[in-house]
Amino acid sequence: MKTETWERDVPVFDVPIWTRPFIALCGLGALGMLLVAYREIVGLGPASGMNDAYAWGIWKTFNTMVLTGVGSGAFAVGIAAWIFKRNNLHVVMRTALLTSLLAYLFGLAMLGVDVGRPWNFYWIAFPWHWNLHSPLLEVAVCMSVYATIPLLLENVPAGLEYAFDQWPQYQPILKKVEKFLMAGYPWIVSLAYVLPAMHQSSLGALMLLGGTRVSPLWQTPFLPLLYVWAAAFLGFACVTSTILFSGIMWNRPFDLDVLNELNRITIWLIGAWLVFRTVDLTVRGQIVAAFHADIYAVLFWMEMILLAVSVWMLRDANANQNVRKMFIGQLVVAVAGMLYRFSPTTLAFQPKPGAFYFPSAIETLISLGFIAIAVAIFIFLAKILAILPAPMRLWNAMEARKARKASAQKVPARVGRGQLVTGD
Amino acid sequence: MELNRRDLLKKLSAGTAAAAAGGAVSVAALGGIAHAEEPAQAPAEAVGLLYDATRCIGCQSCVVACTKANGLEPDNRRDPLHQAPTDLNSRTKTIIKLYKPAKAGEEFSYVKQQCMHCVDPACVAACMFGGLKKDAKSGIVTWTGKYCVGCRYCEIACPYHVPKFRWEGFNPEIVKCELCKERLAKGQEPACTSVCPRKAVIFGPRKQLLDEAKSRIAANPGKYYQDRVFGEHEGGGTQVLYLAHVDFENLGLPALGDESVPQKYLKWQHRLYSYLIVPIGLYATLVGTISKNWKHHQEHAEIEEKNTGLRPQI
Repeated sequence: MKTETWERDVPVFDVPIWTRPFIALCGLGALGMLLVAYREIVGLGPASGMNDAYAWGIWKTFNTMVLTGVGSGAFAVGIAAWIFKRNNLHVVMRTALLTSLLAYLFGLAMLGVDVGRPWNFYWIAFPWHWNLHSPLLEVAVCMSVYATIPLLLENVPAGLEYAFDQWPQYQPILKKVEKFLMAGYPWIVSLAYVLPAMHQSSLGALMLLGGTRVSPLWQTPFLPLLYVWAAAFLGFACVTSTILFSGIMWNRPFDLDVLNELNRITIWLIGAWLVFRTVDLTVRGQIVAAFHADIYAVLFWMEMILLAVSVWMLRDANANQNVRKMFIGQLVVAVAGMLYRFSPTTLAFQPKPGAFYFPSAIETLISLGFIAIAVAIFIFLAKILAILPAPMRLWNAMEARKARKASAQKVPARVGRGQLVTGD
Repeated sequence: MELNRRDLLKKLSAGTAAAAAGGAVSVAALGGIAHAEEPAQAPAEAVGLLYDATRCIGCQSCVVACTKANGLEPDNRRDPLHQAPTDLNSRTKTIIKLYKPAKAGEEFSYVKQQCMHCVDPACVAACMFGGLKKDAKSGIVTWTGKYCVGCRYCEIACPYHVPKFRWEGFNPEIVKCELCKERLAKGQEPACTSVCPRKAVIFGPRKQLLDEAKSRIAANPGKYYQDRVFGEHEGGGTQVLYLAHVDFENLGLPALGDESVPQKYLKWQHRLYSYLIVPIGLYATLVGTISKNWKHHQEHAEIEEKNTGLRPQI
């Protein structure tokens, strides 16, 4: 029997906002934004390594196509919690929702930097101008709608809770807003699963048009399905490793039951994936390509072996209840999943003999800049909003601390402000 | 909170019915749509080019004429004295390339590259807002700047590597052959065909060009590779047709099969999104299921709130 009740998310309190890693992330982000300005002036050619053969670089293929897969936690964990009634997973939903929102918003922003004529994006508001045959149109429409409507709304309750606590005078209004939101919640949540299923599969469909230029180890009619599938385990990997990493960094206790459940689902998703991928290759008669002496075979085996190893690691970690092993295992899942999603777009994409692409320094720094800002925002919000799961006693400790602070404010404190801060 | 059996059954059946109906509609739609696809046909008045590699002497008059007619800056980046592009690029809408066989003694060949004006173009299928469009009458694939977001998906999709992007500057463009549509409107023929000294590339209605190509093959048995007109069926058909004495693949014309790229690769995509029936069906299924679970979750949360005095978290 568990002694602690865990159905609670608690802000990371008692930790200052401005820490050195946080400042570094902000600096990297600021540099990235400066370079974006440079890119807008000089154009894509001078700022990036892209060319007419490799017309898509890491901005689209990594920041958008891979990282929105990583940001599919809200989709994957949400489906487990709301449709398959894994009720103990509700407590990690806020982590999933926030990581997803940030991944999507910054993926979309990156898309805005990547396209050459972004001012023409306004046609997205005129559905009769849509080319419904274009997988990219499907991605652009679905992703923007998903990120700005259902996903954003799903993130509102955490903000409302903060406002409720901070500004008690507005509580009646906030309650009304919350009631309104809750009335439509099943409709919002359902939309939040249909839309990602659509655009995550369309992300795979994007490379279908690449035809034979995508290595046969990746080019399959099931590319859309495999992309959603990879998004599912990448989403689990992202949510689980975020919780594990935050817990290790900020020294917060773990709910092993929830972590075991997350790992277990990840294991099943990957196990079935490995079987499906092998069957698909065999049926298409392309399994031989995995034994050619070329870079594609190496990439393929890296991906397959890393995923197989991650299954073994997660099983071992679950058996031993070892959170560090869980973290490393989930990190391996993330790396392998990202490799799968990245390969058909770039590493296993051979437009024509002699074509070459390597991201330029500016391109890489802009890409990292966007990631840095997203991570910084997550860290910031985890400190003020109840995002990360924690045991009830942490919530009580936070409330006690608040009460202490309130009483200390009445009498001018003799101690300096710095002394109130404990831990880093 | 007591829930009697009848209520439970009622709730279950409402959600389940919605879910089942949604699923059934989706499956039915997929089955129905699967039959409604016909391969695209070239417009009746489609125009195009016929390039005969056996006639081309590689003089590149067409390349120069194209640059002039389209107001492009001659690409002399490789050699300041000559217009000498290495490939189609943002300053080059057509190019003459030389195929040099690896083995001595085998035949060499020139090849002219430009947009193929596909019957079912992959670039048009890829394009989000119709920046690239196939003219319903002439079948010419044209680019309109105000609908182009510069995503370069056309470059990924085109099996012939035709659309090119101007990588410099803040206002880039997609550059590709538009079959000199301005000249056609004035009653002139395209720049490249107007200057060709050997009539290696000629302009005309696609049907007429196809007949011409076939009569050349009939008149010279064994002269042309596989006695085949490239573009009649390849990749769903193109409006630019090729005759050659060497393997088309050596000339950069890939073996695509008779299906067009969009037809071959986007079949299921079309079926899934046709009239949005499948997504809507899926949505109905999910709303049915989740509403049920949501009610249960809310009831549970209320009990928790009573027990702990804390507001429930969603």
